[in-house]
Amino acid sequence: MPKIFSSSARPAAAPDRTAGSRPEAAVSLSSVTKVYGRGAATVHALRGVSVDIPRGSFTAVMGPSGSGKSTFLHCAAGLDRPTGGTVTLGGSELTGLDETRLTRLRRDRIGFVFQAFNLMPSLTVLQNITLPLRLAGRRPDRAWLAEIVERVGLADRTGHRPAELSGGQQQRVAVARALVTRPEVVFGDEPTGALDTVTAKEVLGLLRQTVDELGQTVVMVTHDPVAASYADTVLFLADGALADALTAPTAELVADRMSRLGAWA
Amino acid sequence: MFFLALSTLRARKGAFAGAFVALMCAAALVTACGALLETGLRGRIPTERYAGTPLLVTADQELHRVERKGDKTKDKAKALTERAWLDAGTADRLTALPGVRAVVPELTFPAEVLAPAGRAAGGSSWGHAWESAVLTPFGLDAGRAPAADDEIVLDAAAARSAGAGVGGTVTVQSGAAPAAYRVVGVVSPAGGRPARQSALFFTAGEARRLAGRPGQVAAVGLLTEPGADLAAVRARAVAALAGTTAEVRSGDALGPAEFLAAGKARVKLVSMGAAMGGTSLLVALLVVTGTFSLSVQQRVRELALLRAIGATPRQLRRTVGREALVVGLLAGLPGAVAGLALAGWLHRRFLAIGALPDTLHLLLSPFPPVAAVLATLLAGWGAARVSARRPARVHPTEGLAEAAAPRARPGAGRLVAGVLAAVGYVVLVLVLSGLHTDAGATPVTFLSVVLAAVATALLGPSAVRFATTVLGRVVQALSPSAGFLAAQNARASAQRLAAVVTPLSLAVAMASTILFTQTTASHAAGEQVRAGTTAPYVLAAAGPGVPGAAAEAVRGVPGVVAVTEVVRSTVYAGPDRFPAQGVTPRGLGRTMDPEVTAGSLDAMGEDTVALSRLAADTRRATVGGTLPVTLGDGVTVPLRVVAVYERGLGFGDLLLPLGVLAAHVDNPLASSVLVAGTATREELAAAARPFPAVRILGRAELDAVRSAQAGSQAQVNYVAMGLIIAFTGIAVVNTLVMATAARRREFALLRLIGTTGRQVRAMLRWETLMVVLLSVGLGSAVAYATLAAYSTGMTGAARPYAPPLTYLGVVAAAAALAFVATALPARLALRADAAGAIGARE
Repeated sequence: MPKIFSSSARPAAAPDRTAGSRPEAAVSLSSVTKVYGRGAATVHALRGVSVDIPRGSFTAVMGPSGSGKSTFLHCAAGLDRPTGGTVTLGGSELTGLDETRLTRLRRDRIGFVFQAFNLMPSLTVLQNITLPLRLAGRRPDRAWLAEIVERVGLADRTGHRPAELSGGQQQRVAVARALVTRPEVVFGDEPTGALDTVTAKEVLGLLRQTVDELGQTVVMVTHDPVAASYADTVLFLADGALADALTAPTAELVADRMSRLGAWA
Repeated sequence: MFFLALSTLRARKGAFAGAFVALMCAAALVTACGALLETGLRGRIPTERYAGTPLLVTADQELHRVERKGDKTKDKAKALTERAWLDAGTADRLTALPGVRAVVPELTFPAEVLAPAGRAAGGSSWGHAWESAVLTPFGLDAGRAPAADDEIVLDAAAARSAGAGVGGTVTVQSGAAPAAYRVVGVVSPAGGRPARQSALFFTAGEARRLAGRPGQVAAVGLLTEPGADLAAVRARAVAALAGTTAEVRSGDALGPAEFLAAGKARVKLVSMGAAMGGTSLLVALLVVTGTFSLSVQQRVRELALLRAIGATPRQLRRTVGREALVVGLLAGLPGAVAGLALAGWLHRRFLAIGALPDTLHLLLSPFPPVAAVLATLLAGWGAARVSARRPARVHPTEGLAEAAAPRARPGAGRLVAGVLAAVGYVVLVLVLSGLHTDAGATPVTFLSVVLAAVATALLGPSAVRFATTVLGRVVQALSPSAGFLAAQNARASAQRLAAVVTPLSLAVAMASTILFTQTTASHAAGEQVRAGTTAPYVLAAAGPGVPGAAAEAVRGVPGVVAVTEVVRSTVYAGPDRFPAQGVTPRGLGRTMDPEVTAGSLDAMGEDTVALSRLAADTRRATVGGTLPVTLGDGVTVPLRVVAVYERGLGFGDLLLPLGVLAAHVDNPLASSVLVAGTATREELAAAARPFPAVRILGRAELDAVRSAQAGSQAQVNYVAMGLIIAFTGIAVVNTLVMATAARRREFALLRLIGTTGRQVRAMLRWETLMVVLLSVGLGSAVAYATLAAYSTGMTGAARPYAPPLTYLGVVAAAAALAFVATALPARLALRADAAGAIGARE
């Protein structure tokens, strides 16, 4: 199919890693703090977190509940504004932008997969996937669209509504939507949290594929050591600060580190 | 963004049903009001009597004033309430005009055939001189023209209903004493069109005597030569009449000259249509905004998801706006069609009440429906955009939270707007306390109630939160399980509660205001009449009134000390209109006591007038000064002020001598005659026996007569505003159903943790009770403030009168509405399987 309405200059195949043509880090946080509330009810969700997420990597973010991992994700993805510090996404600084520009940036350069309630119940699978493009007023690149629909394995369900899909299928649609704009980063907030182990493995495998074959950067918050084992790096947050990092994780290593952090005291 | 709007509409049909119903009713209401308004502005009044008259010369039926404001002069015209008469010499100016075949002077005076039982045959009936029969034209069916003064010719309808034919005798009641006439002929209009009125023809001399207007004619008809150019003849006639205030009418202008009542009704329709239309539009806006707010609130998570994916706030607002446009169009079209039917129904009801004469035809044109659809679209779109402002800017993270809690503090803009609306309400209430006429006060009362509702809608959540804290503690104490849940729910979801309280309190306030402005005015007037009528007996008559001869007969009864005839009319003093009564000056103080505060009624004589305090203040007149009064037919007389009295509501704002007023009204018969003295009812009845239509009433029965006379205007208000209350009631049901149906997951959760269905329903009943208490309290407070101001303006004292039973009825209806509207959707929601429902998406 001729690529008449190409939505992006980048080719569909694995991107070329020409050193120096693009900044190394897909997402970069610098001394990011987030504080909620006032006075006695102040909650320090993040305390000066600085981290660079390299391009084309799969990073998992873990920590006990209350560690600030969701806040970390929201700040990195431009869904929330940090109280202090800066967040840079692919060279653009997020923290100084107004709401409308931030929204446009989210639309064009970030993909997001939530734990649940990812899809618009009134739209079909195909309409849900192409929603960010519609919001931008752009036509989908047919070849790219066909490829991701194929990859998530829902080529025969494009006309169905979310209510007619299983939980796993819905998450796969969410992944497809996250990929359709060829974002800098795909963020996932416990994307497999509501799925059974078999379905969870399918979705995680899909995410892994996008990293390996499409060069996508993925950052995923999870509390499941098995899910974390799919990642290249695991970052551990505790009390709003980076406590530990683990490369080439296995489920046992991750579980071990987590218990040391007092996750399951 | 249209595709998003359309797909949302398709998927969430149930949620939009509420908005659909609200917009459809709004379109219907606005269409109906617009049709009434247009009828008032452009409605045709077809002529009957002057069907064969190409040109009619009448007196100027309007009172003209030149108002000077700064260096600008404006010519203002107000309608006269009685027929204005022409100088008889006007006909002379027109006799020699080329193209005019005949100049026919016309006399019109009330004349009814009295049926044997004493009650006149139905329908309006007028007497004329025989020469003017050619104006219709009437043709003789039988008999001949009247030659002697005791001969009469009836039209076929009058002859039929009187049961008389040629050679028979009928008794006719006109402005003078009832007299017998021999029927010498029967006529019917050429073309055989059925008439809405009866015509009686007398000889010219007798007609002049009965009309009671020496030297004057009601109108002059011009019959033209065949083939004459009407426009040219008309121009010549206008030129010939230059220097007088006479008007030349033709075509559609003839009807209003013949049917003065219809002309008055047109004015009434315009004001009523405008007031109703404006009020219903405001109420519709309020209701639609509330409905859309609720529906947007329930979609917060969906909107937050869109924000996270990358929809800008503007795009979200546009989507919501487009949804509203589609719903508005789908609802507006059938609503406008229904509105036309509603206009027809309203017209029929007003006819049945007698508020409109059937000579005014309802005008149905495409303007009102088109305007209504446009207004509905605009209202829906505006309401949706306003209600989407906050949610569109919500942070995606907040919106997607599992337990989406609404924002605690309302925006600054909303607070400011709410305070402004509240201040506006207070200002209107203050203005209301200075308004003395019903015509001025009524639209202001409704507007103030609507403003109060707007303030409630805007400031609602803050006020509700405070009120529910207090109420909640009481409820909690009364029922530790269901009541506790209800209290906590109420505190947590103040926004939803406010959205429900607004339409209910508006309904209570509106219903109370409409019902009790009537009772307040009526009660105050009735009290004044009761307190001020010292005469023990009153003569009243079915039909046009009590003839002067009957009053004379009663005067002759031994023991009768004073007899006061009362003729009612409306007069102008300067630019202000006042209801006035013409009374017999002699012995006035014996029969009525209007609570004179300055001067004395004993000084009433020729060319004098007594004023109510209201009228005296308005015109800055004092005892001893001169006040120029323009009587009903446009004649101005200077009158000397002899007294100022308090009871203006009961006795009219001006008391004039009978002779002055009665010479300038269409119907010179007395509406009531007060009799003071020691004569008994039987003696009075004996004296009045020659006048079969006259009855003797005691003072107590007088009240019933008076309230029957005043009833028609009240009924009009009831019907008109009843529609708006019905609309508000629909809004209440709408809102409650939407709010309850959206809590399916909450009920499911409660049941899963062990609350029985009965306890959940009990919780809902406690919540509804709190809503009802809040709404009734707020609505009643607003109504009371408005009514007190209205009472101050109309009567001078802040004493609104609300019959307790009626008020309880309003409260009971509001409570019943709220409980039913909550219980039914709750039952439906509770019937669903709890475990499935808790996982269900909204």
